[in-house]
Amino acid sequence: MANELAMAMADLDEEKVQALVKAGLAGGVDPSALLNECREGMTLIGQRFETGEYYLSDLIMAGEIFKTAAADLAAQGGSSGPTKGKVVMGTVKGDIHDIGKDIVVTMLRGANYEVTDLGVDVPPAKFIEAVKETGAPVLGMSGLLTISFDPMKETVAALQAAGLRGRVKVMIGGGPVSEQVREYVGADALGVDAQAAVALAGQWLAA
Amino acid sequence: MPNRTVVIACATVIEEMLPLMPPDMAYRTLEFGLHAYPAKLHTTLQENIDEVVAAHPGEELTILLGYGLCSQALVGVEARGCTLVLPRVDDCIAIFLGSRSAYNEQAGAEPGSYYLTKGWIEVGETPFSEHERAVQRYGAARAERIFKIMMANYKRLALINTGSYDIDRYRDYAQRTAERFGLRYEEIAGSDALVRKLLDGASDDEFITLLPGQSFQLEHFFGWAKK
Repeated sequence: MANELAMAMADLDEEKVQALVKAGLAGGVDPSALLNECREGMTLIGQRFETGEYYLSDLIMAGEIFKTAAADLAAQGGSSGPTKGKVVMGTVKGDIHDIGKDIVVTMLRGANYEVTDLGVDVPPAKFIEAVKETGAPVLGMSGLLTISFDPMKETVAALQAAGLRGRVKVMIGGGPVSEQVREYVGADALGVDAQAAVALAGQWLAA
Repeated sequence: MPNRTVVIACATVIEEMLPLMPPDMAYRTLEFGLHAYPAKLHTTLQENIDEVVAAHPGEELTILLGYGLCSQALVGVEARGCTLVLPRVDDCIAIFLGSRSAYNEQAGAEPGSYYLTKGWIEVGETPFSEHERAVQRYGAARAERIFKIMMANYKRLALINTGSYDIDRYRDYAQRTAERFGLRYEEIAGSDALVRKLLDGASDDEFITLLPGQSFQLEHFFGWAKK
């Protein structure tokens, strides 16, 4: 049954995912184990998108199904216990793509992080304000255009100018970013997919 | 050695090139859908370049590419046995608008723009066709849910008039798209300047010219990327 949930998630079968989550909970399966199955499904979805089998609309559907499952499981103690820490996320100025960013937000929340999602077209000042207000030690920026590199760099510079760079780890993600771009932007790490972003947050907030 | 020029272009860009191309110039068109999969676009483009080179042994070959940086898909693409010429732009929107600066201006003024051109409409890369695909896969109700999310950040539908074809044929479709998906309709002036220059063999700052053995690097597009 464990594998069945991951496969239903990967196949984007919303009804089956909901039914299996319900059945699992009724049968006394650990909610966090069920959530892990859903995460495995999300990894498969990412792979299917990369090979061209899945389209953008499928990624949106994946985010929706995962969000519902994570909420159902959280209600049953799937992510009980104290929050693992705070993260500020947003798509940088000049860019309005948010499908990938939203998946990262959903997965981080599913993994029990407290995420402040600033949405899209976020100017540097707004990122700084949110980091100050929340005291979040992790900032994630997304950009799907090659014209997004400069706004990312400006945001890191604004963190520096505000005297916050030392206590905030910065991760960037999105189709066109690369290690070379990370270096230019001055970010601490590059997340190649949503799982990588969750792993980075875990690494930085565990310390 | 005889000279030959061949065009390899994305299905959307070729529509802007065809009206200006000498009738005897050979060209290949690659699928537009590749743009969402940079690794696949990279491989497919390199394969096509290599095939064109292999088909013309003993000729001095120049291949004009109807592409841009395209999410870094072009980085690493190599001029093997030919000269490659590529507009120095982020993506095709700059080609349709006529320059990189025109694109930056548009993007800065209104990032929530859904652009359409003849090429996009002809290859079926529009919200309508995406919606149809979603309805087939998920049914009408879920497709509606997906599209609310997909279009949430778009405010304007901008039909780019490059002047290379009869825009009246596409205006109606673009207006209907805007209406159906709740976007403000606008027609913006494009330009055929870059396409014209590319076909005329320009090699100024607006283009990257690779000699045999060289490959595209990020630094060709961004000064900061120089090592």
